[in-house]
Amino acid sequence: MINNITFFSLVKREVARFSKVAIQTIFAPLISTGLYLIIFSYSFQNREVAGYGIPYIDFIVPGLIMMSLIQNSFANTSSSLIGAKYNGIIIDFLLAPFSYIELTLGFMIGGMVRGLVVGSVTYLVATFFYGGAVAHPFLALFFAILVSSIFSLFGIVAGLWAEKFDHVSIFSNFFITPLTFLSGVFYSVKGLPGIWSEVSLFNPVFYMVDAVRFAFIGQSDMAPSFSALIIGSLAVILLLVVTHLFKIGYKIKS
Amino acid sequence: MSTAIKIKEINKSYGNLQALDDINLDIEKGEFFGLLGPNGAGKSTLIGILGGLVHKDSGKITVLGNDIILNYRETKKSLGIVPQEITFDPYFTVRETLEIHSGYFGIKNNTDKINELLAALSLKDKAEIGPRQLSGGMKRRLLIAKALVHDPEIIVLDEPTAGVDVELRNSLWEYVIQLNKEGKTIILTTHYLEEAEALCDRIAIMNKGKIVKVDSKENLINSIDKKIIKIKFADPAHELKEELIEIDFKLNDDQRQIEIETAKQDLDKILRKINDLNLDIVDIDIESAKLEDVFIKLTNSGGDDD
Repeated sequence: MINNITFFSLVKREVARFSKVAIQTIFAPLISTGLYLIIFSYSFQNREVAGYGIPYIDFIVPGLIMMSLIQNSFANTSSSLIGAKYNGIIIDFLLAPFSYIELTLGFMIGGMVRGLVVGSVTYLVATFFYGGAVAHPFLALFFAILVSSIFSLFGIVAGLWAEKFDHVSIFSNFFITPLTFLSGVFYSVKGLPGIWSEVSLFNPVFYMVDAVRFAFIGQSDMAPSFSALIIGSLAVILLLVVTHLFKIGYKIKS
Repeated sequence: MSTAIKIKEINKSYGNLQALDDINLDIEKGEFFGLLGPNGAGKSTLIGILGGLVHKDSGKITVLGNDIILNYRETKKSLGIVPQEITFDPYFTVRETLEIHSGYFGIKNNTDKINELLAALSLKDKAEIGPRQLSGGMKRRLLIAKALVHDPEIIVLDEPTAGVDVELRNSLWEYVIQLNKEGKTIILTTHYLEEAEALCDRIAIMNKGKIVKVDSKENLINSIDKKIIKIKFADPAHELKEELIEIDFKLNDDQRQIEIETAKQDLDKILRKINDLNLDIVDIDIESAKLEDVFIKLTNSGGDDD
């Protein structure tokens, strides 16, 4: 089902594509995250998060890392596909003997690599602000891999659906950014007033941020096993959806 | 000779437009096959279905015995399709592009083939530069190199010489002829009918989504009963107008040159008649029908371009 050379050529192409413009794809995202770290570590240096008993900067670092990872995984696959459609090279992927699962996994892993690289570099920068302790490092890596796969896949859906670059920004501006900012990156959902705490439970990004926060600080709003179930299910569903979209040639075959 | 591509009852419509209407066609291994037709005839749609770029509504295509849907991985490895539209990946140099494409087709370390293609398509000195820096003709040659990088058995060239200058066009054809001699099946669509006439063994002419004729090039040309006689005289031939009054002919302004279009059976009669006039003939030329005449007759088209 998977031809190693064919499959890894696509992964290699996807990684080489963003590596060639690393300033734009790796280092530029660090600026915004670095600014968050500087501003929040200075503004809330004496503040602790209610119910957690830890400094605010320790609380937001896992969320900021997740935010970078989410945005860059999504950006990689969505821009790669809309770019391929715009340049016409989408036919290269259709004329070559890729199986649908190879296309899905090839693009997905390319996006995951970028998300994980930016997330890792964000973590390295964050160590200057909070010390760098990670309570469960393997769990952190596990969740990071899972979350990056979800947003890589989501980026493929956006890239296939989009007919121009503006359409991709609809996904970013109307889905990714609101869901990420309202996921508890900057606050504990438990502390939200009334119904807003329950509404947050319908936001899948909340479980991702919360699970990674558990891996970093050993505390979370939800049980990490439950979050893992939600995230894992979402990843499997998206994997099946994207494979199906490639199979039917959604918006890439006439 | 066995079948390279078997196309059976292929239909494709876009809304109310029947782009392909019950297409049946067999292309034999090793053939140099021409697929001709005016704009909108359905050539590119048919090639798109063959390559997996376009969904068919019904029918079946096999490539070297493999169904293009059920065994699509095998069929794609057998096909090298040069698309009509110029496309390029702006992130990679010419060589990187060809290396990546080799990988897509499951080939590692394809340096020898890549170097062969770079040389054959005059891209050797452009190998390390990005495609944005290539001229239109060079970008088209890169497209051709991409399609050939996995050494496919069947090569489909959809308007490969559009925008390519004459010298490079000739070198491209030399290379394609060589590939054909090595046993590769070539399928060509082109608006340059003289290219098709010079290169193809067999030709299908499409019009409005249908194949209107498939035959050998010779049979197609012989199907047109037409000869053009061009005679140049030493002196003005004023008397021709009266003597040849029952024949349709054109006499040029200085009355020294005559052009007569006639059926083959009348050739002897006309030449005898002119001979009887005892005029001094400087030059004589008799042309047969061309593929273009067949094309125009079958498509009722002036050969409009894409």
